[in-house]
Amino acid sequence: MTAPTPLADATHAKGAEIIVLEGVDKYFGDFQALRDINMRVGRQEVVVVIGPSGGGKSTLIRCINRLEKHDRGRIVIDGIELTDDIKNIQEVRRETGMVFQQFNLFPHVTVLENVTLAPRQVRRMPKKDAEELAMAMLRRVKIPEQARKHPGQLSGGQQQRVAIARALAMQPKILLFDEPTSALDPEMIKEVLDVMEELAASGITMIVVTHEMGFARAVADRVVFMADGEIVEVGTPEHFFRSPEEARTKQFLAQIL
Amino acid sequence: MTSVDLEPTDAGRHIPAKSPARWVRRNLFRTWYDSSITIGFGVLFAWVLVGIVRFLLTADYTILRRNLALFMLGSFPRDQLHRPAAALLMIALATGLAAGALTAHRREIAAVTGVGYQSSRVIDVVRRFWPVVLLVVVLLALTETITPSLIVVGALGLGLIGVWAGRRIRARFRRLAWAALLVLPFLVYFMLAGFGGVGWRGWGGLHLNLFVTVAGVLLAFPLGLVLALGRKSSLPAVRTLSVAYIEFVRGVPLITLLLMGVFAIGFFLPAGVRPGTVTRVLIAITVFESAYIAEVVRGGLQAVPKGQVEAAQALGMTPWSIMRRIVLPQALRATIPAMVGQFISLFKDTTLVGVVGLPEVLSVAQDVNTQPDFVAQGLERLTLPFAALIFWVGSYTMSREARRLERKLGVGER
Repeated sequence: MTAPTPLADATHAKGAEIIVLEGVDKYFGDFQALRDINMRVGRQEVVVVIGPSGGGKSTLIRCINRLEKHDRGRIVIDGIELTDDIKNIQEVRRETGMVFQQFNLFPHVTVLENVTLAPRQVRRMPKKDAEELAMAMLRRVKIPEQARKHPGQLSGGQQQRVAIARALAMQPKILLFDEPTSALDPEMIKEVLDVMEELAASGITMIVVTHEMGFARAVADRVVFMADGEIVEVGTPEHFFRSPEEARTKQFLAQIL
Repeated sequence: MTSVDLEPTDAGRHIPAKSPARWVRRNLFRTWYDSSITIGFGVLFAWVLVGIVRFLLTADYTILRRNLALFMLGSFPRDQLHRPAAALLMIALATGLAAGALTAHRREIAAVTGVGYQSSRVIDVVRRFWPVVLLVVVLLALTETITPSLIVVGALGLGLIGVWAGRRIRARFRRLAWAALLVLPFLVYFMLAGFGGVGWRGWGGLHLNLFVTVAGVLLAFPLGLVLALGRKSSLPAVRTLSVAYIEFVRGVPLITLLLMGVFAIGFFLPAGVRPGTVTRVLIAITVFESAYIAEVVRGGLQAVPKGQVEAAQALGMTPWSIMRRIVLPQALRATIPAMVGQFISLFKDTTLVGVVGLPEVLSVAQDVNTQPDFVAQGLERLTLPFAALIFWVGSYTMSREARRLERKLGVGER
């Protein structure tokens, strides 16, 4: 067994920090969804969060762009602390893209308009520039030919790639993925994971909640295991899949591998 | 073929028969009680049909002929009839232009997305609006001079010219065609009322019903939208006020509001401000209609999934921009059927303004029976069905158009 490296600690980031969570608690009524979360993520780092359902994985990343409000502790994104100040929240959201399990594309506009909407509305980009940018992003996710269609005319895998392009068009520093392949048919999972792998290689900071262990093994810098609202164990993929230490981690991995 | 394409049919349930005779035997005369029901209802239908046809053929339509202008325009000065005629011609031209521009726009989009596009032919348009065509034919048959027919022919001609021109408007100028459509109501009003014409205080007949409907919709829709958003507001005061307004108004009959508008609104206005009856009626109808529209819109807002708002928030969009670009377009689309239902009932409810003394179609249909030539002859049996026909054509056309729109918007979404 190898000695725990600094990476095996959730509070240590690789490189300069871009996401800092300190003592974060989150309640839904009486239910505590997050318990004393401490975590630092470095620039260009890819963190994969795994764990059983209801363990707080989604809540964790939804707190990072304030889709959920944390009840205690501090969250600082790229030097901006998330408080009730709406200006800070908007700024963090501009720098943070999110990809959802159910895609959440806007069904009433075309694929191209899905991607140009935020740059035009939020960044006040001229239509022409926004469309050029959007086409570049659609090429990056390999579906430029679908630009004029409506989301409902695409397959699940294509829709999720559009959702990734939509997030990329804001040129965020951080991308959050909330189980991006869980709603997809098996044959479409790979096309989405391939795109995500390329993004990871391009140096964007990513936090990925997923059940795809192959992806975690191949792409993650660190793997975080969460259960019951806590971070149970953190480590490199090798550490994780070869020699997990905590009983809950072993049990979880035994169930899914 | 004039039947509506979306009506549910029983055709699928029957085994297809080879010949009409076999179909009849299978579906109408299979057993002795099938046969007796078929014959019984057949006789009943025939009897009613013969009665109606005989009545229509033998009736004396003088009461309608002589009062047609009253039905259409109320007491609009007869020496000013060129004004509504000119307004009609202008509406036809503008509608044609807009339709033409829309066709060109659709064709371009279809070309870009690679979908085939077939523009509608005249026969398609006639089929689509057959109730309106029927009404126009009936109305022209009742006219006593050739002038109205000439005006209708002129309007059709101008409409076609509009379509022709509209298709040739360059893409970048098309916005002007839409803008023209927005300015149209004001232009029409000016044509009727400007330079010694007659303002809405003097309007009557079908013209008044249409005016009250359109003005009611245009005024009540924005107010209803604001109320629906108010009801979902996070500010308790705004929310409470909206809920109180909506629930109060929905609990009161329209006729009460109309009477209050006419007799009680004066108490709330500063001395010297004395709005005319039509204005008062419009206020009452706007108050009434906006509460219902608010509830319709609220239903639509609830139909937009939470994930839509979250996705927009995650992109950094502001609440206002999320509402305008993401939530409302989807919510309003979802409300089309309910909204049109609301507008249809408003159109029919405009008959209630007769109660406060305005000369709308239904009250004309009753009042003409007090004219010396027609008094006490029971001619309501002619005038009331005539009024009913007018309302049916309006309501059924709206309903058909709404279904068309719904079907069109449903394509390729979600």
